Parts: sequence; structure tokens; C-alpha cells
Amino acid sequence: MKKNLRSVYLVSFVLFAAAIGYMIFSGVSQNSVYFLNVSEALAQEKTQPLLSARLFGTVADGTIVRPEDGLGVSFTLEDAENKAQTIQVQYKGVVPDTFDVGSEVIIEGSMQNSVFTAKTLMTKCPSKYQKENREKNA
Amino acid sequence: MTHFAHLLLMLSLTIAVLGTLFCIVSLNKAKTYAVGLLEKANLAITLCYVIASCILFFGFWSYDFSIKYVHDYSDLSLPLFYRLTAFWGGQAGSLLFWALCLVLCGAYFQSTEIYKSLSQETRTWYLLFYFSMLAFFGVLLTTYNSPFEVISPAPSNGRGLNPLLQNPGMIFHPPLLLLGYGGFTIPACLALAQALSKENGSETPWHICTKPIILVAWLLLTAGIVLGGWWAYMELGWGGYWAWDPVENASTIPWFFGTAAIHFGFIEQYRNKAQRFHTLFMALTCVSAFFATWLVRGNVVESVHAFGSGGVGYLLLNFVIAATVIVFAVIFYMPNKGTPFNGLETKEGFLLATAVVLITISLIIGFATLWPVISKLWTENSVGLQAGFYNSVILPLLTVIIALLTFCPWLSWKQGLSHGRHFLGVVLSFLVFMGVFWALFDVKEPLPLIAASISCACMISWALYFAVLKYPLAKLSPVLVHISLAVMALGVAFSGPYKVEQEVALARGQEIAVDSFKVKLLELYEGRDRTGRYDFLEAELLVTDKNGKEVGISQAQRRIYASFPQNAYAEASTIFSLGKEFYATFLGLDEQTRAVLRLSVHPLVNWLWIGGTIMSLAPFITVYAMRRRKLENKQEKA
Repeated sequence: MKKNLRSVYLVSFVLFAAAIGYMIFSGVSQNSVYFLNVSEALAQEKTQPLLSARLFGTVADGTIVRPEDGLGVSFTLEDAENKAQTIQVQYKGVVPDTFDVGSEVIIEGSMQNSVFTAKTLMTKCPSKYQKENREKNA
Repeated sequence: MTHFAHLLLMLSLTIAVLGTLFCIVSLNKAKTYAVGLLEKANLAITLCYVIASCILFFGFWSYDFSIKYVHDYSDLSLPLFYRLTAFWGGQAGSLLFWALCLVLCGAYFQSTEIYKSLSQETRTWYLLFYFSMLAFFGVLLTTYNSPFEVISPAPSNGRGLNPLLQNPGMIFHPPLLLLGYGGFTIPACLALAQALSKENGSETPWHICTKPIILVAWLLLTAGIVLGGWWAYMELGWGGYWAWDPVENASTIPWFFGTAAIHFGFIEQYRNKAQRFHTLFMALTCVSAFFATWLVRGNVVESVHAFGSGGVGYLLLNFVIAATVIVFAVIFYMPNKGTPFNGLETKEGFLLATAVVLITISLIIGFATLWPVISKLWTENSVGLQAGFYNSVILPLLTVIIALLTFCPWLSWKQGLSHGRHFLGVVLSFLVFMGVFWALFDVKEPLPLIAASISCACMISWALYFAVLKYPLAKLSPVLVHISLAVMALGVAFSGPYKVEQEVALARGQEIAVDSFKVKLLELYEGRDRTGRYDFLEAELLVTDKNGKEVGISQAQRRIYASFPQNAYAEASTIFSLGKEFYATFLGLDEQTRAVLRLSVHPLVNWLWIGGTIMSLAPFITVYAMRRRKLENKQEKA
């Protein structure tokens, strides 16, 4: 390759990489959330407030309470592995169709005074019912 | 029966391992090739997989619940169509289906004349990669992921298929992806084979030999991804077609690599350059399909799509790492025959830039999806990225791609513009569209404004290009693919940022305004599906526009399936429109028996499906044109 051509490519690539780098950096700093399971969230809350986090866990037996007026649900989320670790969850919004006792859920929101206020509630599902399978392997 | 099927899989594993070893031995002792024997072995493997798959199909057809897989994914009430397609409803079955796609592609390619024209050495190298791939599938299917596990005594009924999967969109989405993955394996193996073979240079290059396979694999992958989005939009009531979920992201990685490889392919085909990049990215397309499967099946990153891990995770990860190392080693060894690139302001430069941006997107998606795992390196608690990250990084890059391909047709291969006036016309149309969107459609945000205008300019550019070329059939499919991509981009630019959504509780006869629509709850119904598969509750909505003119009646349902009585499922209802599409999901009844509904308006969303459909069909035109040219050549010779 001719020398000036090589520098054209080099300069454009560096510019491109710098732009991408900047976009990634600002994207990461604005859109990061903690991905935690229940035990990790409890451990972390002791040292610092949990302002933005995504939690994974299972809906504990006999804890689902639906409000009399409007949408939403409150329940206790337990750690998928260690059932003794639990967090109280408050959620206002549309409860997914597959939400039930024992379902694995993903919630996003913030935690204050050991109550987690969820902005979104998703149940794991759209693929297959392989829960039995997973517990067997675990 | 099942034991026999399991034996067949064991047999194919054995043949694949022996085949791999045989290839290594014969490559070491050059000039003692026994390609004929290896090809027969390949046919034997194909036969094994076909029979094993038939046995599984038969198990579903005949309600054979003694097969654990059949028991897990079907039941007595499931209609025949869904029973047969439950074949790929689970992990073991979908891996078997992938392997089946792969061997069928392999058997087809082996039967082509162009394959037979390749040298013995190249074919042996090809079979080496191909057999080792099959050996890996054999290990997966006979150990952790056997679809032929037996339950004894056989249960009287199965567990049934997840109602969300009982939808045509979901039935065709996975096999399309798997067919695409399987298809890309053939060119990848041949590319690596020619990189190593000494006969390379005297025979037809791999990307010409396998061009129909590459195109068909690409269009199937495209169709699979688009169909997945459509399914998420129509069936899941997630209120969108794309959520940047790990599983969705995973399926796009091979697509971006594959598309980049195809663009390197144009540089190689027309300019005889970039051979090593081309080979590298075709091989990585194939490897990234396994990487995607690892992301999906290995329980690596928590996702809304739940899968059992089933122990395949480590196997897949090891395979991906080993394959990547081998691919890079081959590329390193491969002689560099290409001449240097011309300047950036040429067709070559733009093709290269397009490929680089595609690869960048793929890498960013891959790393961002793995961010919860990567961030563990420096923090105790893993950190993940929200959808906002992808929207702020990937969408601008996709806009850059549209911009590159808007102007690319007007550049010459060697230097600068080839059609100055047309180029200026396209630039002008871009500015005009920007003005129109700004003034008439009130699009004020920069990214949607630029994306929408450049997409429209892109459509004009490629239509004009086709006219300048005097409408050759062979060029029709790239023209259509790029125009339909621009159509999809236009759909994304509007349906993403300008979606309106609200949740409401409506009493009978009550009316409410959503965006420019007025919605009135006419009636609530209860009933049972004719086949008895589910009971439903239906909200009948009258939708009118601002002037009170009827737009349509929307019938959103909640269903309770007989096999899954514990949950109700929403069946969303839409009123089709090429402009603003009205979308209703029935969420349930509140205490005062008001219907709780999620009502949303999606502008231009249907252009995504229209663009996606054209994009997935257009490559067939090239395949057809190639076939016709081949027949004509034959007739001339005769």
C-alpha cells in the first residue's frame, strides 16, 4: 500500500475507534446496573444503598399479595440456591402472565429500608419449562 | 426404537471420529488420499441422522411418552402440527435438528459437480474440519443432550408445549436460525481447507463453490431473526419487537459476522483482495454460531429466556475457544496473496468500512452481553448493561452503515466518484427528506431524524443505481436487499422512539384517547376455543380516529390453556396499518370488573416486517440467476 494511503486508513481507523470508544464509555457509565441474586443484593445493601439493580430470584411460597385496587403485586423474593435469604418486593404495574409461586423472576428497581421497589417485573419463560431439569443438575 | 436411535447417534459419532483421524493420517502422508471412502462415511453419518430424526418425529406423532423428550414437550391435546414441530422445542431436539441441517447441507454440497472438481487434498482438508464438527455434535447428542432418554414405565400423558410456543412465528423461528447456522458451516470448512491446501489457486475458490449455500444460509438467518422479532411483538405482548435480551443479541452475532464476510467476499471476487479477512470472518461466522448457542444454552448470563443448562455449557465454551484458536492459526499460516487496498474514497474502501463497522457492532454486542461476566474481573458484584446502552451505541452505528451504503453505489473501484451527478442527487434527496421530516412530521430528535432521512435517501440511491445499470437480473437481489434494509431502518427510526403506550382500566361503554385514536370498550365475552384447547376472556374494542371514523374493532384475549391451568396468557390484537398500528393487550379484570388493558400505538412498525420479508427472499434471485447461467453454459458446451 502506498504510504499516504496507509496513513489515510490509519487516521480514519483511529478516529473511528476513538468515536466508538467514547460512545461505549458514555453508554457504559449511563446504563450500568448491578446484576445480583438475592444474597448478593443483601450483602451489598449493608455497605451501600442499592439505587439501581437487576435482581434474580424465585417467588417464595404463600407470599403473593395483590392490591385490591389496580395493578401490581407484592411478594417475597428468595435466593434460588439459599432459600433463607429473602427480600420483600413491591411492584406497581402489569404482572406478567406467567408470574406465580416458584417462578423465577427478574426485577429492576431500587432498594430502600430493605424493601425493593421494582419498576419492572419479568418472569423467565419464553423458552421451555426446564426447571426440574435445572434443579437436578445443580 | 429409542435404543436403536441412540445407537445410530453413537455410530455417527464413531464414524466422525474415525473420519477425522483418517483425514489427519492421509494429510500427513500426502498423495495417499482416500476421499471416496470418507465421502461414503459422510453419507453413512447423514443416513444415521436422518433415521434418528425420523424416529423422534415418529415418537411425537405416535404420542410415545416413553421418550422423555416427547413427554416433556408434548401432550395428548396438542395438534399434530405443533406436535411435530415440538421436535425443536427443547435443547436436545434443537441440537439434533442443527446437526441434521448440517449433514443435509454437507450431503448436498458433496453431490455438486463443483465439489467434485476440487482437488483431493482440498477435499480431505474440508472433510477434516467437517468431520471434527460432526464429532463434536456426536459428543453433545450422546452424552449431555440425548434426545432419546427413556422414561419407564411410560407416563400416560406428556407435560405439554409451552403456550407461548404454540404460534407459527415461534415454530419457524428456531429452525430458520439453525438452518442458517448449519449452512454457514460448509463455506467455513471449505474456506479453511483452501487456506491450507497446496492446490489452492488452481481450483475454483471456496466462495464461488459455495455461493448458493452462503446466500441461502444468510437469508434463512435473516428470516429467523426478523421472525423472532415479529413473534416477540405479536405473541409475547412484551410491547416491542426487540429488548436487547442476551438471547436476542446472541442470534445477531453470527448474522453481523456473516454479513461482514459477504462484503469481504465482494472485494475478493471483484478485486482479488482481502482473502485472509474473507476466510477469517467466514470461519468466525460459523464459530460464533456456537458462541451464540453457548450464550443461550450455557446459562452464562441471566436472561428472560429460560433454558436448562444441561451441562453443555463447558463443552460448548471449550469448543468455541479451541475453534477460534485453530481459525486464527490457519489464517496466520495462510499465504497473503492480495494486493494492497485502494483509497478509502473508493468502492473498495466503502465495502471495507462497511465490513469493519459490521464487525465492530458484532463485537460490541458480544462483549456487552457478556458484561455481567466480564465485570466480575474487577468488581465483586457483576454489572450488566441496560437496553439504553445498545440503543445509544448500536443504533448510531447502524445509521453509519446505512449512510455508507447510500453513497457506495456512486463510487468507482479505483478512485473517487463514478457518477457525480447521481451522487449529488442522492445527497440532495437526503437534505430534502431531512427538511420534510423536520417540518411536516415533527421529527426533532437528531438520531431518528438522520436515520429516517438517510434511509429514504438510501432507497432512492439503490433504485437509481439499478436504473443506471439498466436493470440486470443478477444485480436485482443486492439492490432489493439494501432497499429493504433501508425500509426496515425507517421502521426502526419511527417505531422505536415514537411509540406511545398506556395502561388503562375501562368499564363497558367507556371511551379513552390513545395518541390519535379513541378507544371504546364495547363488550366482554367469555368462551371456549372450538378445539377445546383453551378458555378465553375477550375484550372487544371499537377504535376510531380523531374525527370519529371507525378504524377497526380490536379483539384482545386472555386465554387459559387446558394443559397449563395455573396461568392465563394474553393474546394481543392489532389493527394493521402501514402508518400507526394500534395494539391492545388484555391484562385482566380489576375488582370492579373493568377491563385492564395495555394500549399502544406503533408508528411504521409494519415496514420492519415488509422490509424483513423482502430482505429474506431477495437472495433467491441471485441463486436463480446463477442456476440459469450454469444451465446456459452447459447448453453452449453441448
